[in-house]
Amino acid sequence: MNLCSNRKPAPTTRRAMLQQAGTGFGALALNAMLAGNGFAASKPAPTTARAKRVIFVFMHGGPSSVDLFDPKPLLKRDAGKPLPLKEPRIVSHKTGNLLPSPWQFSQHGQSGAPVSELLPHIGSIADELCFIRSMHCSNSRHGGALLELHTGSDTFTRPAMGAWINYGLGSENDNLPGFITINPSGSHGGAGAWSPAFLPAKYGGTRISGSGANMKIPFIDSPVTKKEKQLKEINLIKAFNMEHLATHGTDPELESRIASYELAFRMQMEVPGIQDISNEPAHIMKMYGADKTPTKSFAEQCLMARRFSEAGVRFVQVTHRYWDSHSNLRKEHEKLSAEMDKPVTALITDLKQRGLLEDTLVLWGSEFGRTPTAQGNDGRDHNPHGFTMFMAGGGTRPGIQYGATDDYGYYAQDKPVHFHDLHATILHLLGIDHEQLTYRYAGRDFRLTDVHGKVVNGIIA
Amino acid sequence: MFFLPRDPVSIILAAIIGCLLLQPAPLPAEDKGSKPGKNDRLWALEKLGKPINPEVQDTNWPRAPIDHFILQKIEKAGLRPTRQADRRTLVRRAYLDLHGIPPTTGQLRSFLEDREPDTWKRLIEELLASPRYGERWGRHWLDVARYADSNGMDEDIVHPVAFRYRDYVIASFNNDKPFDRFIIEQLAGDLMPADTLEEQRRQTLGVGFLSIGPKMLACDDPDKMRRDIVDEQIDTTGRAFMGMTFGCARCHDHKFDPVSIEDYYGLAGIFLSTKTLTKYSVVARFHQHDLSQDEHTRRRGKIATLEKHKADKTVPEEEKKSIEKEIQQIRKDLPPVFEVMGVTEYPTEDAKVHLRGDYQTLGKLIPRRLPKAIAGQDQPKMPSGQSGRLQLANWIASPDHPLTARVIANRIWHWHFGRGIVTTPDNFGHLGQHPSHPALLDHLALLLIESGWSIKHLHRVIMNSSTYRQSSIADSQLKKTDPENSLFARWKPRRIESEVLRDSILFKSNRLDLTMGGSMLTEQSHKYVDRKKQKEYIKSMRRTIYLPVLRSSGYDSQKAFDFPDPAVITGKRNVSSVTPQALYLMNSEMIHNSSKALAEVLLGGTPEANNKDRASWLILHLLGREATPTERERGEIFADTYGKDEKNTAWAAFSRALFATNEFLYIQ
Repeated sequence: MNLCSNRKPAPTTRRAMLQQAGTGFGALALNAMLAGNGFAASKPAPTTARAKRVIFVFMHGGPSSVDLFDPKPLLKRDAGKPLPLKEPRIVSHKTGNLLPSPWQFSQHGQSGAPVSELLPHIGSIADELCFIRSMHCSNSRHGGALLELHTGSDTFTRPAMGAWINYGLGSENDNLPGFITINPSGSHGGAGAWSPAFLPAKYGGTRISGSGANMKIPFIDSPVTKKEKQLKEINLIKAFNMEHLATHGTDPELESRIASYELAFRMQMEVPGIQDISNEPAHIMKMYGADKTPTKSFAEQCLMARRFSEAGVRFVQVTHRYWDSHSNLRKEHEKLSAEMDKPVTALITDLKQRGLLEDTLVLWGSEFGRTPTAQGNDGRDHNPHGFTMFMAGGGTRPGIQYGATDDYGYYAQDKPVHFHDLHATILHLLGIDHEQLTYRYAGRDFRLTDVHGKVVNGIIA
Repeated sequence: MFFLPRDPVSIILAAIIGCLLLQPAPLPAEDKGSKPGKNDRLWALEKLGKPINPEVQDTNWPRAPIDHFILQKIEKAGLRPTRQADRRTLVRRAYLDLHGIPPTTGQLRSFLEDREPDTWKRLIEELLASPRYGERWGRHWLDVARYADSNGMDEDIVHPVAFRYRDYVIASFNNDKPFDRFIIEQLAGDLMPADTLEEQRRQTLGVGFLSIGPKMLACDDPDKMRRDIVDEQIDTTGRAFMGMTFGCARCHDHKFDPVSIEDYYGLAGIFLSTKTLTKYSVVARFHQHDLSQDEHTRRRGKIATLEKHKADKTVPEEEKKSIEKEIQQIRKDLPPVFEVMGVTEYPTEDAKVHLRGDYQTLGKLIPRRLPKAIAGQDQPKMPSGQSGRLQLANWIASPDHPLTARVIANRIWHWHFGRGIVTTPDNFGHLGQHPSHPALLDHLALLLIESGWSIKHLHRVIMNSSTYRQSSIADSQLKKTDPENSLFARWKPRRIESEVLRDSILFKSNRLDLTMGGSMLTEQSHKYVDRKKQKEYIKSMRRTIYLPVLRSSGYDSQKAFDFPDPAVITGKRNVSSVTPQALYLMNSEMIHNSSKALAEVLLGGTPEANNKDRASWLILHLLGREATPTERERGEIFADTYGKDEKNTAWAAFSRALFATNEFLYIQ
């Protein structure tokens, strides 16, 4: 299947419904609108897709795997000794001595996955999770690694994976953007992490920032509070445009713009409902921890992610920060874990209860992990060479631990998975062959995985 | 087995081998069948040939030679060009095209009332002479130059004086700086001889072009950093001026175009002998020239000496006071350091071929030189004491270079019509598209060279043609046969760009501030940019070109209307009509404030008028034409039924609706 061709979307029930609902708009105009000129209009999902959408729970800064998911008894035995392995060619700082984890691990569920005492809730759903304990990437700095994780390149400006997925699959809901990122980090790549780069702008991420009720899609609120007044305005635009079109004759571009106001109006009606988390039942709010600190803020984001995902947004990202514990590891990791543990667990549980987990891929992870060696006496440095990420749902194998780091947790050793492989696997789960999803720019057919990437079959159910 | 992670450099560089997996672009229908390879002669490398005006059947239609080239193809396709647009449409087209702001009703009237035969010609001259022209066309070039006021990438460090480069570009267009000189200054302005400090500043500003690219500034491997910057510079230089993708040859000979890996490292030596950064450790710093007046530098030196002396504990208080007084005296009217962002020279070095792009696996040493397939064997001598940028720049800007004039002539054509003669303006290689009118392209390129590389001359030639003056109201058969308008047998309406939209709305609601130049940034050099300030910047009434461009962020409103990613070269912007555009035009603070302001102007200026006349006034003001009786009635009904005692809001809503019409949003 050639994904880079200008495929015309097949009509869907939703589209048919919208056409009928169109109040006096030419069917032609609406068709043109839906055929790819709105937010990325939906395209038929490939038949082998296991997942239809992705929620990426991004931990900015680099949580420490040897303190969360990857226990290393040898760190205790050899505490304070130098790392008995060859150092990487390039390191940011002088490599310290081995630092054991201050936290206890226990095995959870049928799968017996080890999870640190910092994350009791995540531990409780370990059987739902698919741990990849042999992640690695190429860049030891936040910006580079973050861009590598999000775009596949730490060297050049490239489209974000959400943009690629949006380009490949389009939105499930034409009234919504296909790629939303909630409270992304402005530093370390900033817009690069949700940029369409050279892909058409409509595939790029829509950033939603703020907190609570202020998290909004740009320009979604109208200062004209009375809907019938705004409808008058929209009808006025239409009247001028239709006369103009009559003089000009058929023109798909002009026609799609005529339709866009009505579409925007409908979006305006639909979106606030999705964004308004206050109508969630109390038990759901409680499950996420949206009712109290320290979980409230991240819980609200996770809840909104679920709601957007449920409404058909292909790729939703939430960002939790800032895990960069060069010092104060004990205090910081404890605090950050407590903010994140419950909301993430609730997100996965909630999706499952709603029957959505089956075709929603949840991805948890960071741009890199942290060294098993110490920085100062209570900190760890960046480690792009071996760390843990986990997935849930979307066709992944629940309750497994894939790959392994060495005995000290420094290098991915058994079945290493590079970010390129992760990207290839995510696309595969969405039914896209990562070698086929290309876009021509500057004399090349670009891919999310460039010339790399191997699908990690071992984690696919 | 102990797994060692892949070396970062080889991973990144192997990525570039992606070029190897490519298939060439589909050729235009008539050329199908021949699959290009690098041994095939590339059309764009043929010497510019002086074409003969083609014979046409309808000899009345052409006004200028370019019309012959266009008409010949139209006739060959069995079609007819579209009739000429009416004068009202033309004047609006010209203003939007050259200034990016629609005409005032007064400007429109004075054109319509002027019935001399050369009115159109004079209008073009008038528009080209206005500083608004440079703000509009300079912005086109800034797309190519991937201009930004911050680095983006991993560390969004501010470019506090990049604005001088932006202002330099605007001034260059306004002054019709010969384009060959414009090229040389952007690649080697710091190396050009200058008689005065003013001249030195003006020239050095050009090399901002090489420095403003996106760079990874936090990287633990300085060698990789340096090479990535060089790569970005080679890639940008190649595509911006020559439409060639030299970057592909970093790891291997170009798969399709005649660029070898040795050509690449010949160029790499030139850029490795060029200094972009002054500090490579995290976070790296870029170089800025200090081009202050000598006297000011001397005064600053004196102040430093005095400060030092004053800090000496042994100096008595009395004396300190007098020193302080002296310092104040010297500091009086002392301007800040005149800094210019731009590259400078390093000790020269030749580069060794990096096998598979990996700088740790080196091959043959390649003396600095120009690409052989284009420059030939007979090459300018590279100086031992200079990078060779000046030689490179002179070669690119030479009238004998087969690519340079073609590439810029095509860009100009593209920016006028929304479609290039070559539809891949940044790629003239085998993977780009063939020209739809190769002879016309050569004709334009030669005209440019013969005019002394005058861009304004090209505007005149293009805009005075019959081709340019066609109507957008075209025969439906023609639109069906040629939906993309590759024959240029009509004017294809094109949506105004994000900047034109914002500037036009501000202008039409009497809010636009036409102050030129300068910077809104307040951050010091080498600091992170303050993204939060974007909220203030976008509220400014200045023309959009003067709003700081931050790579890690961007204005939602500008991005919605396809403002390009300022980290990549964009010779051709996307034109989408996505729902966020409608949301912006319906709901944004900017549109509401503007429509309110316009309603006030309307009601304040016409207190006695009836609603039909108000509708007429607004339609004329915003769309540049008389209202129809239906529209007048529509305005009346709208105002009467909108709401009780809501005259202002009703007319604001009416204005908003007009701003959102296709008639306002398209150049037609």
